[in-house]
Amino acid sequence: MKRITIIICGLTSLVLLSCNSGKRKDTITISGAWALYPMAVKWVEEYKKVHPEIRIDVSAGGAGKGIADVLGGLVEIGMVSRPLNPEELKRGALPVAVAKDAVVAVVSDHNPAMVAIITNGLSAEKGADIWITGKYKTWGEIFHSTLSSPVHVYTRSDACGAAEMWAMFFGKKQEDISGIGVYGDPGLAQAVKSDSLGIGFNNIGYVYDNKTKRAVEGIKIVPLDLNSNGMIDPDESFYDTLEEIIEAISSGKYPSPPSRELYFVLKGKPSDNQTLTDFMKWILTDGQQFVRESGYVPLPADNILTGLRNLQ
Amino acid sequence: MLMKRLEENIFRVLMITATLVISGLLLFILGTIIWKGAPALSWDMVTKLPGGGFYLGREGGVLNAIAGSFYVITGAVAMSMIISVPVVMYVNFYLQHKSILAGFVRFCFDILLGIPSIVYGAFGFALMIFLGMRASLGGGIITVGMLITPIMMRSFDEVARLLPGELTDSLLSLGSTKFEMIKVVMRQLMPGFITAALLATGRGIGDAATVLFTAGYTDNLPGALSQPAATLPLSIFFQLGSPVPEVQDRAYASALILTGLILMLSFTARYFSSRFSKHKI
Amino acid sequence: MHRLRKIKDKGARWFMRVMAFSAILILLIIGIMLFLKAYPVIRENSLLKLLSSSNWKPTAGEFGFLPFIISTLYVSAIALIIAFPLSLLSAIYLNSYASEGVRRVIEPVTDLLSGIPPVIYGVWGTITIVPFIARNIAPGFAGSSSGYSVMAGGVVLAVMVIPLMVGLFTEIFNSIPSEMTDASLSLGATKWQTVKRVILRRSLPGIVAVTVLALSRAFGETMAVLMVCGNSIRIPHSLLDACYPLPALIANNYGEMLSIPGYESALMLAALILFVIVFIFNGLSRFTLNRLERRFHF
Repeated sequence: MKRITIIICGLTSLVLLSCNSGKRKDTITISGAWALYPMAVKWVEEYKKVHPEIRIDVSAGGAGKGIADVLGGLVEIGMVSRPLNPEELKRGALPVAVAKDAVVAVVSDHNPAMVAIITNGLSAEKGADIWITGKYKTWGEIFHSTLSSPVHVYTRSDACGAAEMWAMFFGKKQEDISGIGVYGDPGLAQAVKSDSLGIGFNNIGYVYDNKTKRAVEGIKIVPLDLNSNGMIDPDESFYDTLEEIIEAISSGKYPSPPSRELYFVLKGKPSDNQTLTDFMKWILTDGQQFVRESGYVPLPADNILTGLRNLQ
Repeated sequence: MLMKRLEENIFRVLMITATLVISGLLLFILGTIIWKGAPALSWDMVTKLPGGGFYLGREGGVLNAIAGSFYVITGAVAMSMIISVPVVMYVNFYLQHKSILAGFVRFCFDILLGIPSIVYGAFGFALMIFLGMRASLGGGIITVGMLITPIMMRSFDEVARLLPGELTDSLLSLGSTKFEMIKVVMRQLMPGFITAALLATGRGIGDAATVLFTAGYTDNLPGALSQPAATLPLSIFFQLGSPVPEVQDRAYASALILTGLILMLSFTARYFSSRFSKHKI
Repeated sequence: MHRLRKIKDKGARWFMRVMAFSAILILLIIGIMLFLKAYPVIRENSLLKLLSSSNWKPTAGEFGFLPFIISTLYVSAIALIIAFPLSLLSAIYLNSYASEGVRRVIEPVTDLLSGIPPVIYGVWGTITIVPFIARNIAPGFAGSSSGYSVMAGGVVLAVMVIPLMVGLFTEIFNSIPSEMTDASLSLGATKWQTVKRVILRRSLPGIVAVTVLALSRAFGETMAVLMVCGNSIRIPHSLLDACYPLPALIANNYGEMLSIPGYESALMLAALILFVIVFIFNGLSRFTLNRLERRFHF
């Protein structure tokens, strides 16, 4: 009995001793979108080189988690990969654009309709009929061929920016998409990779291999038929390498949505948190040099200036 | 007579098949984990913190999660002990055997036992926002504590019930107060108590839904109750979510670590429980 | 000296009583807090509509929980249908037929299974069960499935719940005094007859309790099911359809909670529904157990 009491007392005092009243001023916690996760990790790594005393924690869990966490006061920065809606802004969310990327449509590279996919591409109307109305039951119906293999439509199960942007491309919202929901961006990519009849969508960061600068093995990016003429013209074909598509997104050739600005969302101006302000400023200035090499699209200069101004 | 024989044999076959199916499944799952995880298991995995980009393929280990899980479960078990021990003692030795209150308390714990871990997670999250807490070690401890208290209480209760009445009777007749009797009883029940604690630990350490919203996540060791803490189940989940195959293999290695830990716990629990067992068949 | 002992005794008694009540209190607090948080959405829409509608459009303020409730029940039922016979038969075998050597091997094996974290079952399900269903089972039934389905969820849940059931069943069987089984055998009954008439009959309350516990586990398992069920908002009509059980709903969407008005309340309602289902099941089983116990005079 005495032994137990001693152990309990010991544990309790250990626990109480390690209790910190108030938050340490040199910690930053970040959570949110899978889309921003690799970029955030890279930034944290580089920032640590300049400011080793600052401790930054990053975790992914979807854009939805990011915004919920930052508005709930659980983290300082929420990574969000879609525009904020009025309800969120009303609650004090301050979005700061930090980079750009895009969502692309993907299929397995063993898809039976591959030839049609590459030559005809996917127009916004066809996409809406695949993901929103569910009109097409077979691959043949999509591309006017006799292929009778059924279409397996995939989407994201977690509340995320990618699905929201993809739906926005059709003028709808994530909840209007119907399909098999898989958790997380990598999960979706994996599902499409293993299902030759599947079609889904991903962030470019997860389907382009940053080392080879080409599409990840097993995945084929579906070109978008932007002028809806039923075929992919030479200037609509920029999906072979990461550089090409980054250029297309940057120049606006790849439409927005589904390309989008990526945001670090704060809860109001960080006026009383110098550490946070410094970090944000660094991201918008020195940090931008790491954007391209990480597979993202750099932010245009005016957006950077707006961001810096908003932080004041 | 023939019918009896036939029935017997049919069921014998069915039973053996069932057992084989179950064992086969186990070996299959375990085999998959070991086959994919063992190659990625290294001393580094257990002793290092994740470097930047760990989830994208670079170096590091899961020490953050091992330490985090350890802190969470220790805190949770301590919290659980403080609640379950007095309750079990009270219900078994202070109340009458068939008292309504005893039945009611047991009923409440039965329900708590059946509540899904995600409900505890949601409740913990709501509670934390209500109390103004951030996703932290403290939040994780409270939520996991709530999850495992009914488990610990139930196991310990089962053991306490089996205590022969002669012991308590003789103590009381010698003039001890109830509290002093409890002290002696506790010493008797120690192995059973440890079993209960180990069982609860095994359950609490592997559960992801409780800590998903409440403990946060970090690549560093948690420094205080108010800081976020990584846990093994979440670490495995995030590593699995990486597009890089090496990281996915490391997830299996982490799973191997977690499974190994739980195995050790349950073997120890079994050992203690058999030492304590009253019904030897 | 005497007084000090009395004070200690009184103090301990008081402390224990408080703890016992606080335990009941926790249950109440959970129920109340969930209800309070869920109340806004109940107030906006009638409870009946919430539970019977299949329309899930949070931005429009429409929350129909029916698909999720049905998914939860369907997946759990499948899991139990698979797990119950397997576990019961195995436990009987281990208890009454198996030799000591076999028992010593199998029992740690079941322990091992129960120690594997749910996430791993989810992954195993994704790489084994889902493709198996997509490739081998679906075509045989004139359907096409991505593999992410009720069946996948049910199988994964069954595998998770089996070790729990086998372990608990074995414990129950072991606690039957050997005199009873010995008596039965010595009267000339075969092993199986003994099992049927003595062991199973005596263990009935325990078996019911364990099944209810397993069912609760199945209802509430989040991670593993989330990865294989398909997360598709619709009422599953066949085993090969994707589904969306309540725990997956909460885990997937809790992030959107603060962004869309009413969403947080709706998710809390989902948690409340789970809570209530478990409450009812446990209550029923307790009630049945008490009746059984009285009938068999335990």
